Amino acid sequence: MSVMHHPPESLVTAYAAGTLDLGQHVAVATHLVACQACRARVRSVEETGGAVLTDLRPTPLSALAFSQVEARLSAPAPARSAAPALRPHSSEIPELPGFVRRYGFGEWKLVAPSLEVRRITLPHESATRVFLLKARAGTRLLEHTHSGVELTCVLTGAFEHDGGRFAPGDFDFGDGTVEHQPRIEPDRDCICLVAMQGSLRLNGMLGRLMQPFVRL
Amino acid sequence: MGSIRDSDQQDWSAHIAAVSARADRAAFAALFGFFAPRIKSFMRRSGESESQADELAQEAMLMVWRKAALFDPATTGAAAWIFTIARNLRIDARRRAQREDVVATGDIDEEFRIDDAPGPDALLATVQSEAQVRAALAKLSPDQRRVVQMSFFEEMPHTEIAQTLRIPMGTVKSRLRLAMKRLRSLLGEAS
Repeated sequence: MSVMHHPPESLVTAYAAGTLDLGQHVAVATHLVACQACRARVRSVEETGGAVLTDLRPTPLSALAFSQVEARLSAPAPARSAAPALRPHSSEIPELPGFVRRYGFGEWKLVAPSLEVRRITLPHESATRVFLLKARAGTRLLEHTHSGVELTCVLTGAFEHDGGRFAPGDFDFGDGTVEHQPRIEPDRDCICLVAMQGSLRLNGMLGRLMQPFVRL
Repeated sequence: MGSIRDSDQQDWSAHIAAVSARADRAAFAALFGFFAPRIKSFMRRSGESESQADELAQEAMLMVWRKAALFDPATTGAAAWIFTIARNLRIDARRRAQREDVVATGDIDEEFRIDDAPGPDALLATVQSEAQVRAALAKLSPDQRRVVQMSFFEEMPHTEIAQTLRIPMGTVKSRLRLAMKRLRSLLGEAS
């Protein structure tokens, strides 16, 4: 499996710098499961982070800082039982990163003809909603634009639009400037993980008629 | 930002290994002396208060002590490893500031673990020496370097960086893209 479409540099950098919103972090992490090249990119950003850290002008710590830390060195690390018990990984969607497979998943819901959505509940507040999107084989999705950034990572199946063909592991970056009308390949359903800010705007007459019902 | 000094060229990996192998407190004290004040600056630059930054720097160093056995010098530089500890603590601190129900930092480590991935990371240009990474950073144009540095501190990087530097967001993105491309090619050449 070779991944053709990757997240833009700004996203990979923000991911590794730890400044990405959790929903977007989930989308990039899902791509990383499939993409060795981007895992290497993340590593190089982390190395850069080390260099940036080293180059910072030091700020002196409070007078007692070292002795306070030293006093805690012999103490055993706090028991992990203080943390809420982690759910087991669901084995259902092996394409997702392990930590995402611990999250809560809703039921599949039909939101438009041939289009189902399954919500993923993030454990922390995020400006980005994350869900799985399943489109039936051969479906032509409505032309749409986004009011915010939409990140898509293909899990199974494939689709095509003006930007190319997107197969498992491929990452599609959509923002307000992108208008596309994805066509799902005819042989199998396509499931994607989508992290979306803002709302989806469907274009065209049917889109305007349907929009009140498509609460994505 | 300081220039490269001899004292910065230490092999911090050996210090972490000493902490791991024999709970070497002298090695830990040296790591603390160098990194704690820089982690504090990192936290201050990220918007944490003076006392919070101090506390987070202490906490990060405690993590260095406790997690030393997990450090693998074959895949990560010492400063990069310590950076990831500080990064994860900062995320944790922000979440705790937002909500009462405290999350354990373990959660965040897990969020950066992509261990289900098949095969070894062969493409990984193993570890560059830290001096090489810093030399590469120093070779960027001041504008590029600034965007790279700021990417590590600002939340919502593009909009905030664009506002701070008074340049359009598209410029921030293209500058960052060129800077990272240049960095990677400099590092590729060095290896």
